[in-house]
Amino acid sequence: MSTIAPERTGVTTKRSGATTQAIEESQSVRLAPNYWPFVVPALVVVSAVIVFPWAFTLWMSVNRWTLGQSRSFAGMENYLRLASDPRFWESLVHTLTYTSLSVAAPMLLGTVAALIFDARFPLRGLLRGVFVMPMMATPVAVALVWTMMFHPQLGVLNYLLSLVGIPAQEWIFNANTVIPSLVAVETWQWTPLVMLIVLGGLASVPREPFESAEIDGANAWQQFRYLTLPMIAPFLMIALIIRTIDALKSFDIIYAMTQGGPGTASETINIYLYNTAFSYYDIGYGSAMAVVFFIVIVALSFILLMLRQRSQWNDAEGK
Amino acid sequence: MASVTINNVQKAFGATKIIHDVSVDIADGEFVILVGPSGCGKSTLLRMIAGLETISGGKITIGERMVNNLRARDRNIAMVFQNYALYPHMTVADNMGFALKIKKADPADTAGRVRNAASILGLEKLLERYPRQLSGGQRQRVAMGRAIVRDPQVFLFDEPLSNLDAKLRVQMRGEIKALHQRLGTTTIYVTHDQIEAMTMADKIVVLHDGLVEQIGAPLDLYDQPANLFVAGFIGSPAMNFIAGRIEEGVFRSAGGLILPLPEGARPTDAAGRELVYGIRPEHIRATAQGMPGTVTLLEATGSEIFAKVDCAGEEIACLFRKRLPLKQGAAIGIEVDRACAHLFDAKTGRRM
Amino acid sequence: MSSRLLNQIGLFFAALVIVSPAILFFLWMISLSLKFEIDNGAYPPILIPERFAWSNYVKVFEENNFLLYLWNSVLVTGTATLLALLIGVPAGYGIARLKAEKSAVVIMIARMTPGLSYLIPLFLLFQWIGILGTLWPQIIIHLVVTVPIVVWVMIGYFETTPMELEEAANIDGASSWQVFRLVALPIAKPGIVVAFILSVIFSWNNFVFGVVLASRETRTLPVAVYNMLSYEQVSWGPLAAAALVVTLPVLVLTMFAQKQIVAGLTAGAVKGG
Ligand SMILES: Nc1ncnc2c1ncn2[C@@H]1O[C@H](COP(=O)(O)OP(=O)(O)OP(=O)(O)O)[C@@H](O)[C@H]1O
Ligand SMILES: [Mg+2]
Repeated sequence: MSTIAPERTGVTTKRSGATTQAIEESQSVRLAPNYWPFVVPALVVVSAVIVFPWAFTLWMSVNRWTLGQSRSFAGMENYLRLASDPRFWESLVHTLTYTSLSVAAPMLLGTVAALIFDARFPLRGLLRGVFVMPMMATPVAVALVWTMMFHPQLGVLNYLLSLVGIPAQEWIFNANTVIPSLVAVETWQWTPLVMLIVLGGLASVPREPFESAEIDGANAWQQFRYLTLPMIAPFLMIALIIRTIDALKSFDIIYAMTQGGPGTASETINIYLYNTAFSYYDIGYGSAMAVVFFIVIVALSFILLMLRQRSQWNDAEGK
Repeated sequence: MASVTINNVQKAFGATKIIHDVSVDIADGEFVILVGPSGCGKSTLLRMIAGLETISGGKITIGERMVNNLRARDRNIAMVFQNYALYPHMTVADNMGFALKIKKADPADTAGRVRNAASILGLEKLLERYPRQLSGGQRQRVAMGRAIVRDPQVFLFDEPLSNLDAKLRVQMRGEIKALHQRLGTTTIYVTHDQIEAMTMADKIVVLHDGLVEQIGAPLDLYDQPANLFVAGFIGSPAMNFIAGRIEEGVFRSAGGLILPLPEGARPTDAAGRELVYGIRPEHIRATAQGMPGTVTLLEATGSEIFAKVDCAGEEIACLFRKRLPLKQGAAIGIEVDRACAHLFDAKTGRRM
Repeated sequence: MSSRLLNQIGLFFAALVIVSPAILFFLWMISLSLKFEIDNGAYPPILIPERFAWSNYVKVFEENNFLLYLWNSVLVTGTATLLALLIGVPAGYGIARLKAEKSAVVIMIARMTPGLSYLIPLFLLFQWIGILGTLWPQIIIHLVVTVPIVVWVMIGYFETTPMELEEAANIDGASSWQVFRLVALPIAKPGIVVAFILSVIFSWNNFVFGVVLASRETRTLPVAVYNMLSYEQVSWGPLAAAALVVTLPVLVLTMFAQKQIVAGLTAGAVKGG
């Protein structure tokens, strides 16, 4: 900060040259605005409510620990128990079935919906608004009303089926139909998110290639297949990844509608985890399950992310 | 107001050196223009003076103060950005008064200075508008107003006119120059437009690849370019360059074109060396007795005629002020003005 | 011309078909909530009853302490959102300016983590601290949802605001904090609105945290509605009315702030929980 002797007076030239070196060392720190104070509060909070639970869960998972009883170190015991727990494997199968169905259906319907909403037609804004509502509605409230609609005797769905001559179903009250029924609700609720993401993709697609394809004589299907689809592929991938993560983690709807029943027919890992930790208070075992569940989610996301890297046609855009 | 000294300044982004070694002395109240081709480091140098980039080596002094490790906000300088950087959520008046508000100046005094600056720039009626409600030229003026209100030691401009259309650019050029004459604040102005440089500057600094090619008054640069780069960069249309060497007291090109030696050049000076002969298009006359050639291109703008003439395989650009009855493909005789011709060393590029 | 019109009508009906599950669902929800027990049990089902059972709504508030739960929901969502904005907006700014996009990975992973795996350790922590009977455990754990949303949305917004404005403010003598408060923040207002709305919605809707952490006095609305369901002799009318009351605020918000929600969800593609 202090002024340096006028450097033109020959004698000091050498010395001021030496000080420049020292100045350089400190300046990168001094000149650039310091942005760290902005981040620190969030860092503290995130460490407390996100990072601490991760670490603590890991630690709990290597302990024998049921709430209200004493805790003792268990090593890998919980994990080994998990490997030989048929109920866990069953829940894993349920989770994967539930997930693949609740990814496929919204992806398909959401893409179709996005193609429709990408065009102009009367009342488009209003209809899109209504279409988005299921996603925003409170899941528990939604689950409640769906439960009434699924009611085997009084539910409106069986009445609607009877109109077209299909026999009454037991929906979520039958072990064979419970998962597809839940998937229907999940699809109803989350198709809009896929639609929004794909719609965003469609909005970013340039017009010119289509005009030139039109001139080249490509029909609508060919334009979709060879232009639209590759161009929105990155967005489809994003939707796929997000949908997969969300479907794997799905809890509210399943818990509120069936609690994993009938029996354990719709018990996903998440529900089993809940029951272990908060019905049986076996938090050591529950934590091990949480860790494995988390690994399953990360692994699946990671596989999809790798696929995404490959599907990227405009990686430079980094979207 | 203050002088600015740039002393052996260097800048590197990571491993790539952008500014190699630049030294410029700027006197108090001087209007200095940094000019050079795109990517030569003009903006980088300006941003180092402003305090927006760190200085990798050398030092910068504003007034008596070495500012290397002074933050931008403590340097008491004002800067006008290429796209103005007006605060979109503030009115014109608030934009102009922002710096004073930060300094917690007396609001009444601030308002007075804003009004004063607005009247200098003809912005009185726009003070309550938002930037999005202004035209490009008006935004430009607000950006200048913001600088004026500060009454800083130094004004910095980074290509302030490049977003304006040609006509407005000429007008604003005049206004900035007038403003400088009125306020007398030391000004450093970056442009890659050499017309702007020639018309506005007290002193031009020609930068090229992070090095200073030449520093001087506009006409000195035009009359005595230090090297091939400056000679080619300053002046429009650009100077003709003809490669060749001195033989038997005349300049002879590879194709056999013979040109008279520039005034003051002695035949023995550079005998045998590879040279480049430089002559500006406007220093060529058409005379029947001159070197014979053929007109290959003709462009008449009304005030002047631009022609390209093929002389012994060399294409020479000529600019004639007189209306000559020229035809494309027709023969013509041309003569160079020896007083305005230059010789450059082909290897080093230096003017002899 | 007429073929274009035909095309538009076709698209309109296609859209209607794809939106119809949503329309029919909400219509049925309203219908359920406005019917007396007899009408709700009728076969074939009745869409529009002869007499509207407005009393269902009265019952919801009279019998179930619903006003308290509503207030709890407002407190939890409001506090968790405000806290998230308070720390998340500056954090988004800092991360965007530090070009520390890599730290967003933490947010991505936070998003992948099932809510339950936060619950076990934090449940124990709250027990040890001894705040389990209050609303604080829920407020704190809702930060798991709201903070990532806010940070994520704000990183995106601050990355798009031009750096030059802040450099200009710097030269004008503003400190880092002043640059943020006087320049960056006002410009990012639309982003803050988006972050606020999304944070409110996903916090309001959250169920899993409340179901574990809430006691009788600290239930939020989703938990309260779920508990109504598990009573034996509950009638459909009041239940549907309660469900509607819970979700109405979000649906209204969705309708009015459609543009912001769409912008936020497509940009960050975030979802809480
Ligand atoms: N932050 C940076 N990191 C790395 N390289 C940079 C950075 N900023 C500028 N450069 C590089 O430094 C060189 C000089 O950039 P600068 O902006 O100073 O050019 P300029 O002379 O202003 O050009 P123009 O007339 O196009 O504005 C360019 O090659 C540019 O790519
Ligand atoms: Mg530049």
